[in-house]
Amino acid sequence: MRSYTNIFAALLTILLFANCNTPKRVWQKETHNYKIDNSITADTSIVNYYIPFKQKLESEMNRVIGYSDNHLTRTRIDAESLAGNFFVDAMLEIGKSIDPNTQIAFANKFGIRADLQKGNITVGNIFELMPFENYFTILEISGNDLLTLIQYIAKTNGQPIAGITLEIKDGQAMNIKINKESIDSTKTYKIITYDYLANGGDYVVGLSNPLHRNDTGILVRFGLIDYIEKLTKAGKTINTELDGRVKNIK
Amino acid sequence: MEELKTLNRRSFLRNLSILGTALAYSQLPQLAQAQSIKDIKITILHTNDVHSRVEPFPMDGSRLQGLGGVARRSTLINQIRKEEKNVLLFDAGDIFQGTPYFNLFDGEVELTLMSKLKYDAGTFGNHEFDNGIEGLLKHFDKASFPFLTSNYDFSQTALAGKTKHYQIFKKDGVKIGVFGLGVNLDGLVDKKQYAGMQYEDPIAVAKRIVPTLKDKYKCDIVICLSHLGYSYEEDKVSDLRLAAATQGIDLIIGGHTHTFLEKPTEVKNAAGKITLVNQAASGGAVLGRIDFIYNPATKVKTITYNNYVLNSDLV
Repeated sequence: MRSYTNIFAALLTILLFANCNTPKRVWQKETHNYKIDNSITADTSIVNYYIPFKQKLESEMNRVIGYSDNHLTRTRIDAESLAGNFFVDAMLEIGKSIDPNTQIAFANKFGIRADLQKGNITVGNIFELMPFENYFTILEISGNDLLTLIQYIAKTNGQPIAGITLEIKDGQAMNIKINKESIDSTKTYKIITYDYLANGGDYVVGLSNPLHRNDTGILVRFGLIDYIEKLTKAGKTINTELDGRVKNIK
Repeated sequence: MEELKTLNRRSFLRNLSILGTALAYSQLPQLAQAQSIKDIKITILHTNDVHSRVEPFPMDGSRLQGLGGVARRSTLINQIRKEEKNVLLFDAGDIFQGTPYFNLFDGEVELTLMSKLKYDAGTFGNHEFDNGIEGLLKHFDKASFPFLTSNYDFSQTALAGKTKHYQIFKKDGVKIGVFGLGVNLDGLVDKKQYAGMQYEDPIAVAKRIVPTLKDKYKCDIVICLSHLGYSYEEDKVSDLRLAAATQGIDLIIGGHTHTFLEKPTEVKNAAGKITLVNQAASGGAVLGRIDFIYNPATKVKTITYNNYVLNSDLV
């Protein structure tokens, strides 16, 4: 390569003397975006490395904990989703088991990272649904702060919620009901969420001035696994449906 | 292997036609010599938002089902390394989180695999902080490549001195300057998980680093590994904004928004030249590739006739 570079340098010098222009490199660019699909053979040296990790992981992940009657899809766009409803309905039950006065559950649709398949639900499914190291937090907030939160929910075209129903028109919340009752700004409300959102994650507003905060120390994922195992033990399946708790009004 | 290939045909054709004109006009004796010189090609490969996707996506009806997998990526990269002399492999962040491999093994598998694939550099995505700075450090020694974090100041944290602002690679006498820009973690990551880290404005940092790479270190190609995100409806810094607000960046390798681009976006930068912005979906479903081809013969024409029509779309 050295001689090549030298020819190049010599050429450059000649040209520099021949012209007064500053030499400028001209890059022609070619681009390809390769799809990695099954036409590419797996590199066995790489597979061999991760096999022991995979085996350990699978033995922990493949344990069946419950059953879902439907395929529960998630959404990053729509106002309501099956996976979202399952998630917050479970949270509300968990919240009530910690503090019986818990009325509302609030999560974030961007935080639900996988669908739940119809059929057997494994530990691994819950890991993929909720991979984050987040902990349940129960907050007591004022009615005014709850309204602020509900406007955030409307502005982001709906978030997973339980205990609240609302309609969204032009990014504004309307017809808000808290457990079928009108919201009372003089009251306080107990809401279960997780530390990430309680700390203002994903630009959530309305949760930063709680009258009381209970950091439960329960990992969301383990809370969900425990909830599903209890359902199964009681002979129940997951039968979440869309119920129009958050509706878009044209 | 389905290859989503895009060639910048328009500029290629323009190159050809200008070359023809140049040859007809030129009587310079050194031209023959110039034509005999072969292309220099710098091949850039890149991933982003792999999110602990060690194995291919499961066949679950999702958009990326059956795609990806580190072992296949390794095969493809090795094949390209056999075909091309000057290959650089980069990642634009969010290596961690998304499969139980991360939750069970805390990043050991991801970083070891990236080292086995011989990544040349990476940058941090917001999910690199999911287990806090301490969690990120747990298996940090498994990474045999540098992390370029130009707008994250870790000097008051346990990561002090463990990342770099930029790195210069030399291939075939060509200098490639690479730096990294991270997204504002405020609102994305719990504050306690990056306590002590100072965030700097990415555009201001780029305006400071790019001249250093170009003027001081004479880099021929400048690449930014970005976890800012491709573009936003709201008023927020993104790759498209970064490209338009700066000059001298040849290529922004993006991440964060999991954007699948069939071909890189050409953005007119502050100098009126083109900065390319590319992003390769997520989960390692796509491997991005950009070849920078330098032909000394073409260069002769440019200098001789100062005809910049040919490179009006090239930095």
